[in-house]
Amino acid sequence: MTQPTRHPSPETLLDFARGALEPGRSLVLRAHLGACAACRAEVRLGEAVGGALLSELEPAEMALDALDKALAAIERPAAAPSAADLRGPGDWIRVPHDVLAAFERRKRWAAPGVWVAPVSRNRKTGARSYLLGIGPGIAVPRHSHKGIEMTCVLKGAFEDHGDIHGPGDFSETDESIEHQPRVTKDGECVCLVAADNALVARDFIGWIMQPLVRI
Amino acid sequence: MNAIVFDPGRYRPVGRRSPQVAVRSVSAPAPSPTQGFAELIAAIAQRGDRGAFAILFGHFAPRVKSYMLRLGAEPLLAEELAQETLLAVWRRAASFDPAKAAPSTWVFTIARNLRIDVARRDRRGQPAEDPSDAPDAEPTPDDALVALQSEGRVRQALLALPAEQAEVVRLSFFSDQPHSEIAAALNLPLGTVKSRLRLAMGRLRDLLGDLA
Repeated sequence: MTQPTRHPSPETLLDFARGALEPGRSLVLRAHLGACAACRAEVRLGEAVGGALLSELEPAEMALDALDKALAAIERPAAAPSAADLRGPGDWIRVPHDVLAAFERRKRWAAPGVWVAPVSRNRKTGARSYLLGIGPGIAVPRHSHKGIEMTCVLKGAFEDHGDIHGPGDFSETDESIEHQPRVTKDGECVCLVAADNALVARDFIGWIMQPLVRI
Repeated sequence: MNAIVFDPGRYRPVGRRSPQVAVRSVSAPAPSPTQGFAELIAAIAQRGDRGAFAILFGHFAPRVKSYMLRLGAEPLLAEELAQETLLAVWRRAASFDPAKAAPSTWVFTIARNLRIDVARRDRRGQPAEDPSDAPDAEPTPDDALVALQSEGRVRQALLALPAEQAEVVRLSFFSDQPHSEIAAALNLPLGTVKSRLRLAMGRLRDLLGDLA
């Protein structure tokens, strides 16, 4: 498989490895990881560090009956999982289950040629993740973001400031960036997006947020 | 802290194989961190070996609890998460692949995912997904490079880091705070923390990549 060319920052990969990435962002990152061997290796390195640090920790005292309780709870180990954890419709890169479930159950049309499927929402912080499908050649209205937005292309491609973002490509944008992505002419583009907050949108609000705020 | 020294021989596994298993566990030397634990996990996968589980439990459960406490969990929750982590070790033993990760790395990822899971459950009041649902593609040669690292090598590489880099690495793994908070706690500019982390991970990659 062709490897993505746009990657998460080292901090984002490390945040994922240490378990500090917001769940919606984790989904986006996992979609990228499914397609990117180099970033998987980086995450594995981070996880290996986590494992080594775990071993170094001073053991905490467990309850006296802890092992007895565990032994009482175990039965037969499960068989090895046969299928890969990630999957998606045929022409997507592979995605986590939650994402696919959102696509199957919550996809709705937001505008001609544009659909949205909310995936997750953090009630505490207002962070959301959602799938966004945009038809060939359509431009997203110019907008910027409040906080960080992470995006992974699952299918097709869009062009932003002259750069092409294709399947597996990951992008992080912050409020300093105002952009107007346009889907390339050859087909629909599907992205998984995690946004910190409601988008700070000019004309974007009516265009996309309306179906999202109803969830 | 005064930890209970775990003695697997105290526990008589319930089950057909128990006597031999119990005896063997007592007389066996403490497993060397990577090889031995991997074999114990394999014994669970192949034979449902409860004695092997008891040894793994004795080693990892108190450390997972310690990890959870460091991350701010209440003692009861930390104990429960340690239990859950080890139960997942039992259930998923067959999916452990020693070519992909050291046992401690595998246990770490299970513990980490369970913790995130509990946080999500609290927030959304919904059962969360199976924490095993992690990025997991067929290993490629690239993956294997890092995955083959034994825990001992990783620890040595950590020791080889300059102290200030090792400090930010440790702090970031035993905290779920953003790097800005870690910077504030250390009274350092955020840029300094980020660059130390980048340098540290780059150095680890160099050290471990060569050893693979």
